[in-house]
Amino acid sequence: MSAIETDCAIVGAGPAGLAAARAAIDGGVRSVLVIDRDDAPGGLPRFCRHPGFGWEYTRRLETGPGLVRRLIGALDPARVQIRTGTTVQALHAGPRLEILSSGAGAATVHAKAVILATGIRERPRTARLVPGRRPERGILTTGQLQQMIARGVPLHGKRLVVVGTEHVAFSVLLTARHAGLSVVAMVEAEDRPMSYAPVATLVRCIAGVPIHATTRISDIHGETCVSGVEIESPEGRRVIPCDAVVFSGDFVPDSPLARSAGLTLDPATGGPQVDQIGRTSAPCVFAAGNLLRAVESSGFAAIEGARVGAATAAFLGGRIGWRGQVSTIAIAPQFRYVVPQCWSFEVPGLATLPTSLRVGADLDSARVGLRHDQALLWRGPVRRLLRHRRIRVPLSSLSTRLPGSISLVATPRDHP
Amino acid sequence: MSERYDVAVVGAGVVGCAVAREFSRYRLRTILIEARSDLGDGASKGNSAILSTGSDTPFGTLENRLVTRGHQRYRAEAPAMGLPILSVGSLTVAWNEAQAASLAEMHRATVAAGYRSAELVDRDAIYRRVPSLAPGALAAMWEPEEAIVDPFSTPYAYALDAVTNGVEFRSSSAVSSALREEAGWTLSTATGAVACGLVVNCGGLWGDKVDALAGLADFAIRPRRGEFMVFDKSARPLLDVILKPVPSPTYRGVLMAPTAFGNVLLGPTAEDIDDPDDWRVTRDGLAKLDAAARAMMPALLDHDVTAIYCGVRPATERPEYRIAAHRDRRWITVGGIRSTGLSGALGIAEHVAALAFDGMLRAERKAELAPVRVPSLLEGGERPWRDAARVARDPAYGEMVCHCEGVSMGEIRDALASPLAPRTLKALKRRTRAMFGRCQGFFCGARVQAAFEHASRRAAE
Ligand SMILES: Cc1cc2nc3c(=O)[nH]c(=O)nc-3n(C[C@H](O)[C@H](O)[C@H](O)COP(=O)(O)OP(=O)(O)OC[C@H]3O[C@@H](n4cnc5c(N)ncnc54)[C@H](O)[C@@H]3O)c2cc1C
Ligand SMILES: Cc1cc2nc3c(=O)[nH]c(=O)nc-3n(C[C@H](O)[C@H](O)[C@H](O)COP(=O)(O)OP(=O)(O)OC[C@H]3O[C@@H](n4cnc5c(N)ncnc54)[C@H](O)[C@@H]3O)c2cc1C
Repeated sequence: MSAIETDCAIVGAGPAGLAAARAAIDGGVRSVLVIDRDDAPGGLPRFCRHPGFGWEYTRRLETGPGLVRRLIGALDPARVQIRTGTTVQALHAGPRLEILSSGAGAATVHAKAVILATGIRERPRTARLVPGRRPERGILTTGQLQQMIARGVPLHGKRLVVVGTEHVAFSVLLTARHAGLSVVAMVEAEDRPMSYAPVATLVRCIAGVPIHATTRISDIHGETCVSGVEIESPEGRRVIPCDAVVFSGDFVPDSPLARSAGLTLDPATGGPQVDQIGRTSAPCVFAAGNLLRAVESSGFAAIEGARVGAATAAFLGGRIGWRGQVSTIAIAPQFRYVVPQCWSFEVPGLATLPTSLRVGADLDSARVGLRHDQALLWRGPVRRLLRHRRIRVPLSSLSTRLPGSISLVATPRDHP
Repeated sequence: MSERYDVAVVGAGVVGCAVAREFSRYRLRTILIEARSDLGDGASKGNSAILSTGSDTPFGTLENRLVTRGHQRYRAEAPAMGLPILSVGSLTVAWNEAQAASLAEMHRATVAAGYRSAELVDRDAIYRRVPSLAPGALAAMWEPEEAIVDPFSTPYAYALDAVTNGVEFRSSSAVSSALREEAGWTLSTATGAVACGLVVNCGGLWGDKVDALAGLADFAIRPRRGEFMVFDKSARPLLDVILKPVPSPTYRGVLMAPTAFGNVLLGPTAEDIDDPDDWRVTRDGLAKLDAAARAMMPALLDHDVTAIYCGVRPATERPEYRIAAHRDRRWITVGGIRSTGLSGALGIAEHVAALAFDGMLRAERKAELAPVRVPSLLEGGERPWRDAARVARDPAYGEMVCHCEGVSMGEIRDALASPLAPRTLKALKRRTRAMFGRCQGFFCGARVQAAFEHASRRAAE
């Protein structure tokens, strides 16, 4: 079995992995190997031909493939090698990666540092426990539908029912239009769409797609191909004829590699637990992008990648050491998760991961506070906190502090 | 005019495939006729995958004898066909005093019936073996020989063995009528007539309807649906044995078991239904499974569900196999193979052959047989992509497509090139496990389907 040496191995050539490669090189890393199991680089955006990708990172509104081209174009081929069609089968201490590809067979990669950027997937119908029949065609996730369209794999019919109203559900609308498919209904279990209100209004008015809130699927019809879904709402049950039902959103990190490598995972996110520069519990293994939690935009994932790439360069250049003692960031019960989960007080002046903090249930009016030991370091404005919105917290204000306990609190409006 | 066969086996469920394989051992012209496009697509596709020793069937019945024999034969013959056997053993757990008392009685009867390895174990032993079991277990019966098998590769291996050794397999050929002739039958099927000297009805869930074609009405199928949840592989460390409740006379209860593919299985429920084609997973069923997990092992519910499915048992009015040789009619009915057919199939097949050779057929045993071997789909088992030399010779084994289940393009190509090529995506799933994993096709669905359509187009040309 052949052995490959590199300074930095990045698993995943999505926005996070590609942006990390660029930042690592900019920070002085000599050689970077980006590995992706898919047959081309780009991660999920490469299958989304509509605009809306990368804004936070590039300040442009690009299509998915457009963003991918830009990210790859920013890499110096002399220093960054991208290997696609190559699966990382295992990650061991060292770090050492076992890889497999059709071109080069099985090989071992010895790296001085590894960045995991393996991204996300949507939870399928089964994991959502949706009852009904199980026809082999027409029960899809958004990701699969988009890949089928991008790869020219025909669908057996044209009428789609979309389950879920997170932002990605609207990506289906755009893709469907482009591919000559029609979305006949959107179904949401909650009492309102989970995307931005203007988007939902646009969908109703312009695209003429009915959005059924407080509704769930009670049955799926069809023997080989989906022929319809039965929906159930407080008004009763009815059948919507359709050819496919697309389960959208409900993303989870794709973390089997991280899990099998023995990294500490955060049960709240399903991704590896990291400090503010992306160091995981395993020496020399960093993580970035949506693997850290589901789900932020591609631009956000790219920014995380860039910051973690820069931190990796600092580590490989000897400017910082590996993670020592960390303080866990305690979160109030109203919060679902926070990334980063912990803080290393000894890291000087490096750009930190932007904070992702989310509430478990909508709060009508509350303010978020950041405490360090007894002191209240920061207090946000009184506002509505919605489940599907990221709450911004300037965790970086901890940089100037001495080691201590950290907590994020949420107080109702009237609370002092 | 069509050719003449000595034997026509109707129905390619696990039972029909095993019966066809049995006849392939003899100098006979045998045909296996299946209504659906793939074998193993009826009752045989949705079960608990347990290779039972027979100890859980009523003692003294034909079912008990054939399951016990089927188990023995499986252990002796399956490994050479590449079929895995996970000998994990089972614990039948009593949760209250009444159950503990009937468990003790069950244990006595089980040992007396000849299953000598069955043993009663106490609380501590139970929790040592299954630390995550919910508190409150009192006692259990330990049966070390109960095992887990691959329910999809099993009928496939039998059919492949049969076909490799001369049996003709005809799919998409529902038998719609049977005409009695002097020396046997002419069956009309969707793809033409089949003349044969003996019919073996292995129609499973539709066995009563097939019998009706010959004017027989000995039994009626009472379909009994059972629903399942398959948990993510992350749950597998929770469980390394089969966990069963103490059965009632009519229902064996929801069990929990590892699968050959590295998951944890929970099920089945039991619900009598009218229509054998009603393969719906129901909200009620899922709720019952959730409650069972909560009672047996709440920790299981921390893991995601990878699959939900149901199976339908070909039960009849009586808790027994309904196997009958109608000598005067040259017709053997293998009916009511209700909830042990996967374990019993090889025992049933041997029994059916004995019935046939007792006055209805005469044939010599073949001196030589061509061996078959199906690819192992066992989690952590031997896979082409694990073998660096094989990947070097055949790079398609290095091209991973289904990442959740670890399936390479080479394995998909091989499955599509089989003499029993999958004609549906579900059949391809059963042969390779591609798209069967936690993402259910999110990552691989498009590529696997493209490969499948490509192969189907080529086959059609
Ligand atoms: C249908 C859909 C529509 C979307 N629409 C938008 C949108 O309009 N705007 C927007 O900003 N975002 C959108 N997103 C989200 C966006 O695509 C993701 O946020 C972004 O791709 C995350 O980047 P990432 O680098 O973290 O992961 P990914 O893009 O998921 O990349 C991960 C990569 O890792 C590879 N990988 C994983 N495991 C291994 C392994 N073991 N070995 C080798 N390689 C491995 C994968 O092949 C993949 O290429 C959408 C997502 C989907 C599914
Ligand atoms: C919930 C559940 C759990 C179970 N668990 C276990 C277990 O753990 N261990 C175990 O050993 N067993 C188990 N079983 C039982 C096992 O699955 C069945 O006993 C077995 O599959 C029956 O197989 P069969 O071949 O008789 O029937 P089937 O698989 O139904 O096969 C009959 C075949 O005949 C075909 N057919 C019907 N009519 C015609 C026609 N007119 N023309 C042509 N073809 C026709 C059908 O298409 C079908 O393919 C379980 C069953 C269920 C439902």
